[in-house]
Amino acid sequence: MMKRPLVFGLCLFWALVTLFPLYWTLVTSVKPPTAVNGGPTYLPYIDFVPTLQAYIDAFSGIRGDFISPFINSSLISITATALSVLFGTMAAYALVRFEFRIRLLSGLIFAALAIGGFLLFNETLGFSRAQAMGLAFLLALPACLLANRLPLPGPVLGNNDVLFWFVSQRMFPPIVTAFALFLLYSEIGREGFKLLDSFLGMVLCYTAFSIPIVVWLMRDFLAALPVEIEEAALVDDVPRIRIFFEIVLPMARPGLIATSLITLAFIWNEFLFSLLLTTSEWQTLPILLSGQNSYRGDEWWAISVAALFGIAPMMGVAMLLAKLMRSGLTLGGIR
Amino acid sequence: MREPVKYLFIWPAFLVVLLIGLFPLIYSLTVSFQSIRLVPPRPPRFIGFDNYGALLGDERFWQVVTTTSGIVFSSVFVQYVIGFAVALALFSRVPGERLFRVVFLFPMLMAPIAVALVGRMLFHSTVGPVNHFFTLLGFPNLPFLTQANWALGTIVTVEVWQWTPFVILLMLAGLQSLPRDVYEAAALENATPWQQFWGITFPMLLPISAAVVFIRIIESFKIIDTVFVLTGGGPGVSTETLTLYAYQEGFKKFNLGYTSALSFLFLIVVIIIGVVYLAVLRPHLEKRA
Repeated sequence: MMKRPLVFGLCLFWALVTLFPLYWTLVTSVKPPTAVNGGPTYLPYIDFVPTLQAYIDAFSGIRGDFISPFINSSLISITATALSVLFGTMAAYALVRFEFRIRLLSGLIFAALAIGGFLLFNETLGFSRAQAMGLAFLLALPACLLANRLPLPGPVLGNNDVLFWFVSQRMFPPIVTAFALFLLYSEIGREGFKLLDSFLGMVLCYTAFSIPIVVWLMRDFLAALPVEIEEAALVDDVPRIRIFFEIVLPMARPGLIATSLITLAFIWNEFLFSLLLTTSEWQTLPILLSGQNSYRGDEWWAISVAALFGIAPMMGVAMLLAKLMRSGLTLGGIR
Repeated sequence: MREPVKYLFIWPAFLVVLLIGLFPLIYSLTVSFQSIRLVPPRPPRFIGFDNYGALLGDERFWQVVTTTSGIVFSSVFVQYVIGFAVALALFSRVPGERLFRVVFLFPMLMAPIAVALVGRMLFHSTVGPVNHFFTLLGFPNLPFLTQANWALGTIVTVEVWQWTPFVILLMLAGLQSLPRDVYEAAALENATPWQQFWGITFPMLLPISAAVVFIRIIESFKIIDTVFVLTGGGPGVSTETLTLYAYQEGFKKFNLGYTSALSFLFLIVVIIIGVVYLAVLRPHLEKRA
């Protein structure tokens, strides 16, 4: 369609633009301080003699603790990815294979009872805020479930609306939820149950925030699976749960892997929730990275090592994803 | 089909999202109508819409909205133009296409915080290679991070670097789904590539373009990481974004009611932009359908 050299030139140009910062970080990480502070130097062995000192410093821990944020990030992102992919895939399966009918009015009843109940329990009956939240939830949920059974007037929502409900969570500016969660976690903490700066608190919030993407991506992968095998199994009276785990999940493996990788990258890279909800013990890598510059000034060799710590695992993920996409997997959910 | 087992499948996800993602909003919504300060501590007091009123009358709020919108719209525009061009180039089977694809995946999987750190290093005034390059061309030392307009430009550049791959990936998927026969017909009528692009490719990819741009706009409005590391909102408050402003108010000043109100106004801004965007595009999209 276009002229060949021009086309190739464009791709090459953008590839260079993409790779140069990565090259620069890699090269800077092996520079001795003099090769950084004297102005830009480009080629190892020609402009300067490379050294691994920055890596040795990082691993020996004299330049701050890199290891524990790395472990925190790994534990939190792997656990939250596993949970959100499990729950999200189950929900996506339900949305593909079953029909849901939800009355709009019962949703409104939930919102009204939750807000009203919270104010009632907190302001009038004198419960603490965290207790009032819990009680309001326990009041609103059964009421809304009950209301859904009654022949109430008003529009009835179907599967697509449920899907939209999930996806719309992703459109929220995260600061809205993050700040609300910070308030809630600190209230619960006042009751003696620690969620701020805890493993459980971080896993919960990342699971909740990743489920919408998983539902969105997995729905398309699952919808593309043939229904006949499942129907045959149903005729043989195999329970749905077993069908899901023993037939559906193995068939959806490429999609599951791709979705898990994307979710993992998303959680690994996430900054805002960790900034608001952790203080010291469970800080993740992005928080450590964000403090590097103000904390170290212009020690760019050490900062480069730190940045590489954050980037390297996701480079692996990128290669895996590229391999998956080459083997015929198109990203689902994107249309 | 009435199968009770379906609830077993959907309830875990539904409950987690409802409880963690949505339910806390009820609390912060009530807080947004109160005056709560932790420093100095004061008992909460119901003040109605005063927080919202104060925000709407606050010059800084409007400046932050303008700054954020500026960053979002200019960076998404550039991402779309470059991304579409590179996708077209990749689609026409350049040599080394596979390698290019892997390379183009890298930036979007990197932590924005790490990207911003690298950006800070590249745009550094004395040791950074970008300034070195410009001085070689005969420019003076440019204030990439320390002067308001340059700093905004730098943030946009870093955003473009990181997120253009997303546009490339999706536009490429769109290109691959186009029917071949239309192009064969066009080739028979001797349509130039330029005519083919504006007559066929662009209109047929309009729906996916609309979706891609929409996702990027919504995602970009959340920007905090890049700004946090690159400029910290400075110089002054000239590069402060909505999320960063909310963070400053909530965690530096502990002005909880005000911050809650701010986050809900932010939500409203995003909803308005989304609705306007869809309203503007809908007639164009329906024409094709």
